Amino acid sequence: MKQLLSFVLLSVVLLAVVQCNKATSSGKFTGSGGSTARFAISGDHLYTVDKSNLKVFSIADAADPVLKNTVPVGFEIETIYPFKDKLFIGSTSVVHIFSVDDPENPQKLSTAISPEVIRRCDPVVAKDTVAYATLRTNGVCGGAQSILAAYDIKDLTKPVQKASYPVSEPYGLGYADTALYVCNRDGLYVFNISSAFSPQLTKKISDGWYLDVIPYYNTLICQVQDGMNLFDISNRMEPGLITKIK
Amino acid sequence: MRRPLLIASGIGLCLCLYGCTPNDLPDSPADTAYVPVYMSAAEKNNISLSTARITERSGKIYAYGNYIFQNDQNKGIHIIDNADRLHPRKIGFLNIPYNTEFAVKGHYIYANNVNDLVVIDIRDMNNPSVVKRLEDAFPYVNQQYPLEAGYFECPDPAKGIVVAWEVQTGKTFNCRR
Repeated sequence: MKQLLSFVLLSVVLLAVVQCNKATSSGKFTGSGGSTARFAISGDHLYTVDKSNLKVFSIADAADPVLKNTVPVGFEIETIYPFKDKLFIGSTSVVHIFSVDDPENPQKLSTAISPEVIRRCDPVVAKDTVAYATLRTNGVCGGAQSILAAYDIKDLTKPVQKASYPVSEPYGLGYADTALYVCNRDGLYVFNISSAFSPQLTKKISDGWYLDVIPYYNTLICQVQDGMNLFDISNRMEPGLITKIK
Repeated sequence: MRRPLLIASGIGLCLCLYGCTPNDLPDSPADTAYVPVYMSAAEKNNISLSTARITERSGKIYAYGNYIFQNDQNKGIHIIDNADRLHPRKIGFLNIPYNTEFAVKGHYIYANNVNDLVVIDIRDMNNPSVVKRLEDAFPYVNQQYPLEAGYFECPDPAKGIVVAWEVQTGKTFNCRR
C-alpha cells in the first residue's frame, strides 16, 4: 500500500509534466499540483478520489462538469496521480493502476506494485523510466527506515528499487531537470540526479518543516508548515529564497 | 436544503437509539474528544472573496498561470499574485467552507465545499463567482459519529448539518463508540 502511495506522489509530479504537455496540445492550460492531491485533471476530465470511489467528471465544458462514472476502487483511498496514460490510485493497503485510454471508463490493470518496493503513504515522482519516492516511517505509515528511494519503472507495474538514501522524515518531492527537491521535517534537500540511480545530496536548506513542492518554471513553490516558501531555481542546484508567504 | 436536515435528523435519531451510551462508560470520560461542527446550509454554501490573511493551517499548493494558490485547511484558498515572480504577494482569500481539495483548469477552480463539488470562475480574480455546484458529489460527513473510535459529543440535528468533527477539550463527552 505504501508503495502505491509513493507511486501516487510520484505520479503527482509526473502529472504536472503530463498535464503541461496536454495543455500544449489542447490549447488549454492546466496548472501544476503537488504530490498529494486527490483531485487530478487530465485533458478534459477531472478525476477525484474519496474514501472508496474514483469519480470521473467531464469538463469538456469547463464551467459545467458532468459526472460520467463512479468506479469503486476499494477502501481508504488516499491519493490519485496520473502518470502517462495511467492513473495511480493509492489506498492505505494497495495501489491500483488504472488505464484511462478510454477517459470516462477507467479500467483496472493491476494492483501490482508490491508493498515491499513502494509503500502506500509515500510521495512519488516519476521521470521517464525512473521514479523517486520518499518512505517515511513515523505516523500511520510504518516501515523500518525513512529513505529517499529510486526505482526503475520500465515496467510500471513492477518497479525495481535501485538506490536508497537515508533521510530523517521526508514528505513530498519534485524535480526540475537534474535537481530533485525533497521535503523534510528539518528542511529542503536538494539532490543531483544526473546519474538517476545514485542521487547525490548537494544542499540542505534548514529553515522550516517542508511538506510538498512544485517546481514551476524557474520558481520552486514549497508548502511549509506555516505557509509557503518560494525559491528562485534559475540555477537548479542552488535555490535562492525569494520570499516566505505566511 | 431540507433533505440534508432530514437525513441529519434521522441519523441523530438513530444515534440516540444506539449510538450514545451515556452513563455506560467503564472509564472516566476523556476530556479530549471529537465534537461536531455545525453549519446551516446557507453558511455552508457561502463562498466569497476576502482580503489577504495569514495562513492558519497550511494546505495543498497549486500553480496556475501567474497565480499560486494554497489551501488553508477547511477554510478556503489563498490567492498569490506571482506575475512578478521575484515579488509575489498575497492578494486575497477565497472563503470556501470545509475546502481541502482543489484543481485548476482554464479560468476555473474545481474545489470541494464540504461534500459538494463547486466550480469557481476566476477570470476576474477580484470577483470570483460560483458558476456550478454539484451537490453531494463526495461522501457525506458522517452525521452520527467521528471516524475515530472513542468519546465524542452526541450530535444534535437541530443545530444544523455536521460539516466536520473537530478535537476539543474541557467538556464532558457523552457518546462513545
